[in-house]
Amino acid sequence: MAVKPECIAMLLAGGQGSRLGILTKNIAKPAVPYGGKYRIIDFPLSNCVNSGIYTVGVLTQYQPLELNDYIGNGQPWDLDRANGGVHILSPYQQIKGTEWYKGTANAIYQNINFIERYDPEYVLILSGDHIYKMDYSKMLDYHKEKNADCTIAMLEVPWDEASRFGLMLVNDDGSISEFEEKPKNPRSNKASMGVYIFNWQKLRKYLIEDEAKEGSGNDFGHDVIPAMHSAGERMFAYQFDGYWKDVGTINSLWDANLDLLNPKVDLDLNDDSWKIYSRSPAAPPHYIGENAKVENSMITEGCEIGGNIDFSVLFANVTVEEGAEVKYSIVMPGTVIKKGAVVQYSIVAENAVIEEGAVVGESPENMADVNDWGVAVIGNGIKIGKGAKVEPCAMIDSDIGGAE
Amino acid sequence: MAANSVLGIIFSNANDEVIPELTALRTMGSIPFAGRYRLIDFQLSNMVNAGISKVGVITKSNYRSLMDHIGSGKAWDLSRKREGMTILPPYNLPGTSMIKGKADALYNSISYIENSNKDHVLLTDCNVVCNMDYESLVKAHIAKDADVTIAYAKGIPPKMEANTELVIDENARITDTKIMDCYSSEVNYSLKIMVIRRTLLERLLHEAHSAQVDDFETIISKNVQHLRVYGYEETGFVRVLGSLQSYYDISLELLKLENRKKLFTPERPVYTKVRDEVPATYGIGANVKNSLIADGCRIEGEVENSILFRGVTVAKGAKIKNSIVMQGSFIGENSTLDCVIIDKEAVLKPNKMLCGASNYPVYIGKGIVI
Repeated sequence: MAVKPECIAMLLAGGQGSRLGILTKNIAKPAVPYGGKYRIIDFPLSNCVNSGIYTVGVLTQYQPLELNDYIGNGQPWDLDRANGGVHILSPYQQIKGTEWYKGTANAIYQNINFIERYDPEYVLILSGDHIYKMDYSKMLDYHKEKNADCTIAMLEVPWDEASRFGLMLVNDDGSISEFEEKPKNPRSNKASMGVYIFNWQKLRKYLIEDEAKEGSGNDFGHDVIPAMHSAGERMFAYQFDGYWKDVGTINSLWDANLDLLNPKVDLDLNDDSWKIYSRSPAAPPHYIGENAKVENSMITEGCEIGGNIDFSVLFANVTVEEGAEVKYSIVMPGTVIKKGAVVQYSIVAENAVIEEGAVVGESPENMADVNDWGVAVIGNGIKIGKGAKVEPCAMIDSDIGGAE
Repeated sequence: MAANSVLGIIFSNANDEVIPELTALRTMGSIPFAGRYRLIDFQLSNMVNAGISKVGVITKSNYRSLMDHIGSGKAWDLSRKREGMTILPPYNLPGTSMIKGKADALYNSISYIENSNKDHVLLTDCNVVCNMDYESLVKAHIAKDADVTIAYAKGIPPKMEANTELVIDENARITDTKIMDCYSSEVNYSLKIMVIRRTLLERLLHEAHSAQVDDFETIISKNVQHLRVYGYEETGFVRVLGSLQSYYDISLELLKLENRKKLFTPERPVYTKVRDEVPATYGIGANVKNSLIADGCRIEGEVENSILFRGVTVAKGAKIKNSIVMQGSFIGENSTLDCVIIDKEAVLKPNKMLCGASNYPVYIGKGIVI
């Protein structure tokens, strides 16, 4: 029997992230690389340990191999522990049959036994889809102070974007009076971040009821939280202000990476008191060559840079040969960009090869119609042949031969 | 696996005196090197990559930074229930004083060596930088049924006191050794990396203790005629640090791709303590040429022919040339550095200028504010 923790976290990491297209062909969305040396899941995991939450269940379902391997025993996040630590929770066979996780609430429902082993007072529900730094312990203090049954982290979003989110109408005391799921005419700009704290015994009861309910989507936002609300449970909103980004689309992933190069963006990864931990490869410092030019960029270990880099984020072990040019792009680990190639306004996934003279992506200024413009994406391990051209918005999932 | 029968012993303090500047506050093993490593990383990684899973690190003095760096050995997968890494601090047996030479240090840890039950012991210093295949070294030792196998390199030996030249016959057997200070021609010089039969090591240590002999190399040299002592030639990138000047020169040799390729191979990675720094960020106006830059650096100035360790800040208008700047140091606006070695967490305020010469680099100590 484990020592009883006050609060444990359940991290929903089973999503496919289908809007990320070929980037999530073989990996789950939380395993998508971000910011030069991280993966999306490093953010909620690091937030947990920095907040003093040392028991984390990670619920995986879609393409879990790489994610499982990445998390391993949890050592990079100090989550290799005798009590608690990180646990990968996949759907499993039970006497009444086998089921995939049908929805977010069902995923937790299927792991009631896991949570019961720890018998915590509170459960923190997280998703592996967002880039943000947040102290969950402060949210827990708030939850206790309000004597709440459920606390939902919320963020004020720009009014013109509000209709894309699940919104809340909040009373002066912080309690939630109404929910609106992606309304056409929003009455609030307070959006749910998909971060919830529940009193475990309450949540347990509602999960069991929700499971028994016919026609339920078994989803927190659609089913469980509205049910708790209409039953008159104490629901509160906890305001978060800081950088928060859903990296669910190619453009938002590209944006969120380039945000790191903007000194005005409030996401300091250099803060010693709130480090973001990751599993890093054992590679030497990066080398910048005699004829290279690097500005406004992030570059990490193992890179060999001979060409020009501007407004870009390069992951570990990327090679950019002399005379090649990389601008406004995200280049993931192990990719090689050869002499004279140009990579611009693009995301290049891991271990791709861009041959000499190839051109990937296009600047929006050079478009006849700017509405046709978009970030070009090169998939994992893809080879773009000599002198080939990849159009903006393209998603390249198979090798392209040379232009000769 | 041959390496399973080997105990690794690393002398973290050996040769401290040859680089007094960098060892004033630390051991030879914890000297920062190549932007993100400490010298001991190369030895620990070599051992682990060869499959050696029991390693003792002998310390003598100033070893806090070393302990902070290696911790429980996790970064090298040496934090284990079975075997793993052990720090062997000085241990005053009744009737002995502060340990002096290597033989004395080993004698101090003799019960650790005895209890290991390994057939062979691999002994190394930390001032040799290499990515050597220790598995092949151990295999050669076993194949020759050798008592002792000493790794050597062919070339002009490093400029330091007491180089050992090895006289080797056509069967790779060492027939004689010579101690010399100064060489101008190519010879076979010892890298002070050796594999020795454990029971023999124990016997020699007991003898040395009763005879009050401190220097372990002398003991081997004296016995070269009676024992089966073989040489093992290392042809990869191997450098022995013998002075601050050689630290500087060898560091900058890593700006050459061919050297980096030999020292950092994907097959035998060099592991180090992970610090979870962000990637290096380059600002507008950054201009970096021919340099090695570690994570956590923020660069807005110019850097050329230099090595920046983790978390170095180079402010706008600052110029760094031919220099080595260690972890966490700050180079202020419009300051200039040329041929300088700056130790950790030093601060160079704006508009300062420091110049050394490539054959006489200036050294700025840890935490100094200028």
